[in-house]
Amino acid sequence: MFNDNNDIFILLRNSSIERKIMVGISKKLFEEWKELAQRELKGKDLENHYWITPEEIKVKPLYTKEDLKDLANQLENLPGLEPFMRGPRATMYTNKPWTIRQYAGFSTAEDSNEFYKKCLENGQTGLSVAFDLATHRGYDSDHPRVSGDVGKAGVAIDSVEDMKILFNQIPLDKMSVSMTMNGAVLPVLAGYIVAAEEQGVPQKLLSGTIQNDILKEFMVRNTYIYPPKESMRIVSDIISFTSKNMPLYNSISISGYHMQEAGSTLTQELAYTLADGIEYVRAALEAGLEIDEFAPRLSFFFCTGMNFFMEVAKLRAARFIWANLMKQFNPKDPRSLSLRTHCQTSGVSLTSQDPHNNIIRTAYEALAAVLGGTQSLHTNAFDEALALPSKLSSRIARNTQLILSEETGVKEVIDPLAGSYYVESLTNQVIEKTLSLIEEVEEMGGMTVAVSKGFTKIKIEESAAKRQARVDKNEEVIVGVNKYVNKNLNEEIDLLVVDNKKVISEQIQKLNKIKKERDNNAVNTSIEKLRNGAKNKGNLLELSIEAIRSRATVGEISKALEDVFSRHKAVSQSITGVYGSAFSEDTLFNEAQNKVKNFAKKEGRQPRILVAKLGQDGHDRGAKIIATAFADIGFDVDIGPLFATPEETSKQAIENDVHVVGISSQAAGHKTLVPELIKSLTENGGEKIIVVVGGIVPPGDIEDLKKAGVSAIFGPGTPITNSANQVIDILLKKNLLS
Amino acid sequence: MKNFFSLSNLEKEYGSIRDLSKKILSGDIRTLSRCITLSESSREDHQFFSRSVLEKVLPMTGKSLRIGISGPPGVGKSTFIETFGTFLVDKGKKIAVLAVDPSSSKSGGSILGDKTRMERLSQSDSAFIRPSPAGETLGGVSRHTREALLLCEASGYDTIIVETVGVGQSEATVSNMIDIFILLISPGGGDELQGIKRGIVELADLIIVNKADGLLRSEAENIAREYNSAVKLLRPKINKWNTRVVTCSALENKGIEEIWSITEEFFKKFDQESDLSAHRKEQFQKWLREEITQNLNKQIYSDKKINDLITIYEKKVLIGEVLPSAAAYEIVKNFLKK
Ligand code: B12
Ligand SMILES: Nc1nc2c(ncn2[C@@H]2O[C@H](COP(=O)(O)OP(=O)(O)O)[C@@H](O)[C@H]2O)c(=O)[nH]1
Ligand SMILES: [Mg+2]
Repeated sequence: MFNDNNDIFILLRNSSIERKIMVGISKKLFEEWKELAQRELKGKDLENHYWITPEEIKVKPLYTKEDLKDLANQLENLPGLEPFMRGPRATMYTNKPWTIRQYAGFSTAEDSNEFYKKCLENGQTGLSVAFDLATHRGYDSDHPRVSGDVGKAGVAIDSVEDMKILFNQIPLDKMSVSMTMNGAVLPVLAGYIVAAEEQGVPQKLLSGTIQNDILKEFMVRNTYIYPPKESMRIVSDIISFTSKNMPLYNSISISGYHMQEAGSTLTQELAYTLADGIEYVRAALEAGLEIDEFAPRLSFFFCTGMNFFMEVAKLRAARFIWANLMKQFNPKDPRSLSLRTHCQTSGVSLTSQDPHNNIIRTAYEALAAVLGGTQSLHTNAFDEALALPSKLSSRIARNTQLILSEETGVKEVIDPLAGSYYVESLTNQVIEKTLSLIEEVEEMGGMTVAVSKGFTKIKIEESAAKRQARVDKNEEVIVGVNKYVNKNLNEEIDLLVVDNKKVISEQIQKLNKIKKERDNNAVNTSIEKLRNGAKNKGNLLELSIEAIRSRATVGEISKALEDVFSRHKAVSQSITGVYGSAFSEDTLFNEAQNKVKNFAKKEGRQPRILVAKLGQDGHDRGAKIIATAFADIGFDVDIGPLFATPEETSKQAIENDVHVVGISSQAAGHKTLVPELIKSLTENGGEKIIVVVGGIVPPGDIEDLKKAGVSAIFGPGTPITNSANQVIDILLKKNLLS
Repeated sequence: MKNFFSLSNLEKEYGSIRDLSKKILSGDIRTLSRCITLSESSREDHQFFSRSVLEKVLPMTGKSLRIGISGPPGVGKSTFIETFGTFLVDKGKKIAVLAVDPSSSKSGGSILGDKTRMERLSQSDSAFIRPSPAGETLGGVSRHTREALLLCEASGYDTIIVETVGVGQSEATVSNMIDIFILLISPGGGDELQGIKRGIVELADLIIVNKADGLLRSEAENIAREYNSAVKLLRPKINKWNTRVVTCSALENKGIEEIWSITEEFFKKFDQESDLSAHRKEQFQKWLREEITQNLNKQIYSDKKINDLITIYEKKVLIGEVLPSAAAYEIVKNFLKK
């Protein structure tokens, strides 16, 4: 392994001073270090002194030049040149800093527009629109299924008139706009294009990104509308339209972000994202495009979490692997090989406990993203785990980047961690792990197959359950949550509150107005054309643009397509045993199990819980983890479908005769929907069924929910061993009373 | 042993037996679901109580088509029920689905996944879907399911579908409570098919090769052909009814109409020859015998003294002093003396 020659020094003469520089570490020296280290470890074996990351990568306490021995192909790269591992551009931030692009949107187009303009005045350099869940799922604000969702978790957009308001006084020929839209991508992208058109900006000047990454929706983000096959057609129609008409526009943002947020490891995130990318390339080629027509406009989106060096390594590995994967399509344009990406700091790493700590977490994550060479960045607000960002928290989030960019000097050197024994070696390990995961899905027939089998989703859920167990067992430390808990903390934080009733009534007014003023014949004609296009051929984006121009709404366009394509119903799978097997000796876990046994004996059956989601909220990580952990503890668990109405959930609870309905609420629909659920339960004879709520419940809502009849509320960070014990305690108490 | 429980507490909690039976007959879903819970309970007073309700409504049972659906895990039973059930609801039927879920972890808990596959059907007012954990009974169908089935009939459901996982044992039990036994199989993997025992195929009145879509389609058709020639060799279970084999795609809603028309044909034939009521009577006889065995078993094994005796004899058997058969004879004799 090590160089046996003991005295390899190069004598260097520098003016008159003689310096010895060591190149390569002698075996003797390394043995010396080992001895010393072993002594410092006091009994613990140095051989076992390492860290196995969730990615199953072994991280040693010390890296040396030896670790770089076989990495010549990796070390000899330069930025701007194939395979772009050190960055897509030759000068990187030394010439042009990353784009500060904060993702935001709430309530109405008017409010969001106001907010965007302020941000731009204060140093933000790109826009990124967050839509509400009704829009995501292709429903107009007056649809009965979305009453709890309108304006809550993003901005409500029903028509091109809303779009025009959203970008009012924002010059779309200059401002690069990113839009997170996947399900209702056609009417929304069409809306943006027509809004620009009516601002006087032609398509060819539009720059920005549409997310348009449907595969990960089926895996983790859950704002799909149509089945996979039809959805993939929409993706390639958009790629083909934009590659012809919008040369500056990124037609897709292939996203791993949501996977990591849903619980994946970093290598899963990378592998599944790159494999998704390959799938889109294949779809576009099949649709008849040339590789160089569109490949340079593909962009990526990754998450940056707390595993600092691994995140840096991940971005470097991403560019390396992508370039190598893309070679199989024989592009002529080198830009077709280069991976450009947006990054967002991790939301899951942020806590509702002692929320100001989140500022620090976000700053570290932002640094990792920048050291990894991201092209643009979103930094999260410190109230992430409580509500949508407030004015104060979004200002601090933005300033985190401004300070990083302007005050630290990170911009002055390209890829500054290159050559680091650790980071290079880690980069290599990430590459290897990722390649083997990509191979696994390729062998199944590629991502479309893997996704429709639910394979990748289950893999991610498994990682999430393992993570939850590590945190609940205090093996993975989260400051303020499972260590250094500040029990006396009683800070009030001003949170953004969205008045959803008000937004709905304003949106309905605007909808009524547009429907009255437009030429309904023209709308019918354009919608009919769209429907035909969906049945036969025809570019669906082009047809949607026509429909939007005629003032058809987002809901109407989505419905027309739904009539032809149908609305996708997800098949949910679940794991068991992963959480429980981590807990053989844990006292709280055993306590809960024993209480369950006790209850089952008294009641004649296991305690039964329906874990349910209400409204268009598609965050299923929490619900899935609760389901699998509760089952491991001994509950019979029913899992409700996504997107249920309160009445549907109540019907299921009563038919299944559960003891408890556990609502997992992330997207702020609970204030409207949970009281409706309780009402429906009561009306149908289920008044004895206990209702508990978990997830993002801002302090201000707790009283209201309790008054409505909710028995317990479990916020983010509650160990499942705790919540399970509490739920079973409530049941036992009730059992004694009745 | 006497079957005596204080039912007044239960009546206080759940309502009087009279009330409950009335509510069942009026189609009250809450009452139906609670009574199913009581009959599934491991508490004997619960079971006794629910039986009392069931006995009251028994005359109103027997009017549904009882359909059993079985097959290996993952063939698409739940998905098929979603599609088939929705089709029937659109035809004006009232459907009850009893899905016995085999997944049960060490802790005794389980994730009941079947209903998540029946999203649309579960939203329908004309459908009642009850997933139940299999609990201790392997394969999962048991007395509870029969009782639940009868309760659903009394509540006015005209088509009852029982979903069970085919693991061998349970088919025989299911086929003993339903009229038509449908076996689902699917292409892909191959192992799935091998897992299906001949005996199960013999029980089937209709074999559906599911997942006849996409790449699996031609394979599905091949399998159907093979099975078709295989079932020709079977002796008809009922006069003149030869087991049929069809393909379908539950996911893409293909082949459902044909399956329904075969089912209708089956019931027509069954009814005309007045085999149906005879068949059901026979099932009740079998049920009775099964219950006797189960009851005896339970009583023997829950008797402390007898258990001690068993331990003693076990030792003797192990050292070769007594034959197992002789030991059993003595033990049972002892039990009966008490
Ligand atoms: C992960 C995440 C995502 C992932 C979701 C992945 C997935 N498949 O679940 C992705 C990236 C896809 C995502 C997307 C979006 N997100 Co998001 N997301 C989060 C985030 C960062 C963490 C949630 C999480 O999963 N935590 C980990 C799990 C294990 O914890 P948990 O769910 O809280 O559950 C714990 C407890 O709450 C409790 N519990 C929860 N449920 C239950 C139920 C029972 C019965 C019991 C006993 C206990 C219990 O026990 C669990 C264990 O401790 C939160 C912010 C945060 N830090 O909480 C935002 C957040 C929920 N997201 C938000 C938004 C707005 C969105 C989007 C709508 C953005 C947009 N406009 O496009 C999208 C759309 C998603 C959709 N389809 O609905 C907002 C919601 C705002 C609000 N409530 O006002 C939040 C709060 C962030 C923010 N401040 O802006 N998101
Ligand atoms: N291709 C295809 N897949 C199906 C079909 N029916 C069910 N599946 C899939 O098979 C898997 C198992 O289905 P499920 O209904 O849960 O099977 P069960 O275990 O037999 O109840 C799911 O992923 C379904 O989507 C079908 O007709 N075609
Ligand atoms: Mg099933």
